[in-house]
Amino acid sequence: MREFMDHITNSFFEATRWNRGNSYSELNATTNDLLNFPLPYGLRLNLSALATPQFATSYQLGAFGSVDGSIAYLYSSVPLNGVVAQSDRVPLLPLLRSYRPLKELGLDREGSPTLYSGTLLYGCMYLPRSTLQARVIRRFTPGLQAQVSAVSSEDLRNGGTVLASAHYDKGIYNVEGLASTDGGLLGLRGLYNFGGDASPADMPISGAAEVSSSGIALEKERIYGRFSVGGELYYGTLNKSAGMSVGGRFATLPAYSGTPLTATLTINPLMGNISATYAVLGGEHCTLASMMDFNVYSYESDWKVGMELWSKRRPGGFLLGAEPESRPRVAQPAADDPSRWKERSFQAKLEWRLDEQELLDIGKDDAGGATPDEHLGVLKARLDQHGRIGLLWEGRIKSLIFSLGAGIDIRRLDQSFQSVGLNIRYSS
Amino acid sequence: MAFNFNWSPLTADEKFYEKARDLLTTALNKSPKPPIIVDDILVTEFNLGSVPPELEILEIGDIAEDRFRGIFKMCYSGDAFLTLKTRVQANPLNTSLCSKPDFTSPQPLAAASGLTIPLQITLSEIKLSAFIILVFSKQKGLTLVFRNDPLESLKVSSTFDSIQFVRDYLQRTIEGKLRDLMMDELPAIIHRLSLQLWCPDQLPKEEDPLKEDREPAVDPLASPPLDAVDSQGHLLDQSEIAALSLDGSPEVQSLFSQKNMLRLATLTNTNRTLSLYTPSIKDVMFRAWAGVADRVDSHSSPLATPSLARSHSFHGTATTYTFSDADSQEHGHLPTRPSLVSLNSATTGLTLGSGRNSKSGRKKKNRVVNLRKKAAMSGTMSETVSEADDTASDSASIQAPVSEPLMSTAIPEEPELAIPTPGKVRFRSPEEQSQARPRSPLSPPPFSQPSAPITVEQPKVVAAKEQKQKQTVRSEKVPTSTGQWEKRGGPESDTSSVILEQAWIMKMAGEIARRVYDEKRRNPGFWEERDEIPPPAYEAR
Repeated sequence: MREFMDHITNSFFEATRWNRGNSYSELNATTNDLLNFPLPYGLRLNLSALATPQFATSYQLGAFGSVDGSIAYLYSSVPLNGVVAQSDRVPLLPLLRSYRPLKELGLDREGSPTLYSGTLLYGCMYLPRSTLQARVIRRFTPGLQAQVSAVSSEDLRNGGTVLASAHYDKGIYNVEGLASTDGGLLGLRGLYNFGGDASPADMPISGAAEVSSSGIALEKERIYGRFSVGGELYYGTLNKSAGMSVGGRFATLPAYSGTPLTATLTINPLMGNISATYAVLGGEHCTLASMMDFNVYSYESDWKVGMELWSKRRPGGFLLGAEPESRPRVAQPAADDPSRWKERSFQAKLEWRLDEQELLDIGKDDAGGATPDEHLGVLKARLDQHGRIGLLWEGRIKSLIFSLGAGIDIRRLDQSFQSVGLNIRYSS
Repeated sequence: MAFNFNWSPLTADEKFYEKARDLLTTALNKSPKPPIIVDDILVTEFNLGSVPPELEILEIGDIAEDRFRGIFKMCYSGDAFLTLKTRVQANPLNTSLCSKPDFTSPQPLAAASGLTIPLQITLSEIKLSAFIILVFSKQKGLTLVFRNDPLESLKVSSTFDSIQFVRDYLQRTIEGKLRDLMMDELPAIIHRLSLQLWCPDQLPKEEDPLKEDREPAVDPLASPPLDAVDSQGHLLDQSEIAALSLDGSPEVQSLFSQKNMLRLATLTNTNRTLSLYTPSIKDVMFRAWAGVADRVDSHSSPLATPSLARSHSFHGTATTYTFSDADSQEHGHLPTRPSLVSLNSATTGLTLGSGRNSKSGRKKKNRVVNLRKKAAMSGTMSETVSEADDTASDSASIQAPVSEPLMSTAIPEEPELAIPTPGKVRFRSPEEQSQARPRSPLSPPPFSQPSAPITVEQPKVVAAKEQKQKQTVRSEKVPTSTGQWEKRGGPESDTSSVILEQAWIMKMAGEIARRVYDEKRRNPGFWEERDEIPPPAYEAR
């Protein structure tokens, strides 16, 4: 489950039209989400609110052995008006789905620069450990964004670290530089897009795909996607260590009518590591991902598979004792039963306010019913070479979004359950 | 005295190596490893080699059936080797990001991917040279401490020998780690093992592992084991008993068994009431105070107990009693006494503080059997200093009335005169000792074996200024005091101690009389009443 503050931050990026995915560090974000999703640990309660369109708060309380918690505040200079933060209404699919379809490149950023500027401030304090986190994101021009993150904690060597990064996004290419106080690390990342919508030469093809009905069947069959290649380079000025990698990705564009897929290949020439990932969105309800890792120096290999299954049934249906079919049966009379309407209006005559609320509710319910394939829960699972299984079940009960996870080690049968956790979130 | 260590059977035993390998493997994997080590550390080969270490006895502070305290010098340059296997993370970016918070991590895509390399490290050509302090007692197990840094040199060869930088780094790191291991970990391991061997009853009491772990790190000279109070008669002096009765702290309670405490209490009461009953205490050796006859107090008479094997005699004030052994009185007290007393004083100095010592009012004699030349003395300097402090405070309370006899007890130690043949030192048995005593320390020893005359260094009883004074008068003092020493043999310090004790008794008597007087003035009726009925135990017989 994406954290509430991450959700709001993403909303900020959307509101300022910043393409977060157009970065080398996000090259294999899809498979990473599918294969390395975090498992909840212990019991954790989260109360969050987007109090005003510009201000959000989040309180978290965790209990596993000892009680700990965190308090977080977020301020955005751009009003996040269209963002749905309420946990009973937020659409689950964009919130929980790991597969991230490519977004269109910001090739044509017209309009005034004020549309693209904004500032986000975020602070979080972890209570018993006295750890403080802060982040500032500032968008200067349509193509330039800077970000500073800092952590202050007594556990860290110098009491804290600061990471500053600047991103320059030109659509076709993206360059970012970063500097960290931790070891004096300097980094440079770059990404170049071509093919698909990125290449002007290919642009007509997309047009052809759109007019495929005119008879060009061959063009329709042709796979349509975007290539991205990039690299990263790091150098620690204090510990004199360096690191680098190059990588490439092919991902289909949303306009492609076939099965969406993403394939990446990353190579670390210094360490001799080659990693290939593949993720495919097999229909509406299923996503599959796999990863293969090989080191040419040490001949070590690793693999991981993961999947994501979406359920249309009410999550925890057996827990609540409700049949899966019961929901449409209830929803249908609410949608178009004239007697109900009349009854409501009779009540409305007594209490005007209640009537308005009910109407609004029904309208919302109607909208929910209008999209028949609204997903209500998702099961994520992964398995790696060492026999470790991760299971995560996320969904919504009433107005609570929960995520229940377990880590299982099948090689050690005596204590196979490595971790069990439950996260419950309510936001308004 | 000579020890014969058999090195080859120890090294030939296959099971020994297996056990040692297992022990080392578990010890190495116990503590959390740095992120650079990604696998368990396995001890694959371990061999002690065929060359035994050279061991020299420098000093034996205390020797008895159930305890031992000594200082050794160990030199080793043999062919022992040790091979370790593990896997290390070769990507510096990976290890540096491991312990950092996610929030400020640069989150590299693949630059931090790991490369693990199997690593084999062989430690060989180990050269050790150390002063070892060994303290053993049945109650507290074996404590072994290195006085100095034992590691002289070491050859580290690894998979990365071709890379100069890595080789140097490994050499440096491993040397440092090994030093830590030798100085801190090894004494703890040995202590724990010895506890398992000799006193398993102590083990369940180790509920606080930290305390036990720290214990061996404590310098045994600063804090010798608090042993032998119940089983060895000589340590049973007034201050010890006072400590027992006054602060029955759990620490003390754990040192003495309840049964023995009861018996000792009975013994004390026996002395108080002049009862003839002597409780039999198991495993007790009664040690001698030489010259006890001189310490007879004014108001208690020597009392012969019916025990035939040993003729005990009780002397002293209400709680001070000493056990004399006729046998050891003849032979003098030299072989056993010095260290006992030094141990005693250090113990009391540690646990009770010197204040209580001075209260006890008995002159403590501290002697160190000095077998070494001055240069080697540095090892035991702290010991003697602490003793000197102790006795200085001791004597400070007593010496005021009689300062002259005190000088005679302070037999000048002449380390430069009593230089033993450097290095090889033998310790002599009590019989030899008593024979050799009349000999002047300067005369060459008649024994063919290289041996050293044992100089008895009477305590640096004297505080710093006295020391200075002594040095000024040494030229005259030396012959006379040596003469006294030779003439009188065993109870050399008795005249002084008698005078001291008499002075103390006079003082105490005055004190008591004053208190009685005060008390009488305050409550005259009470005392008149009491005078007529003396307690039956104190009736004259």
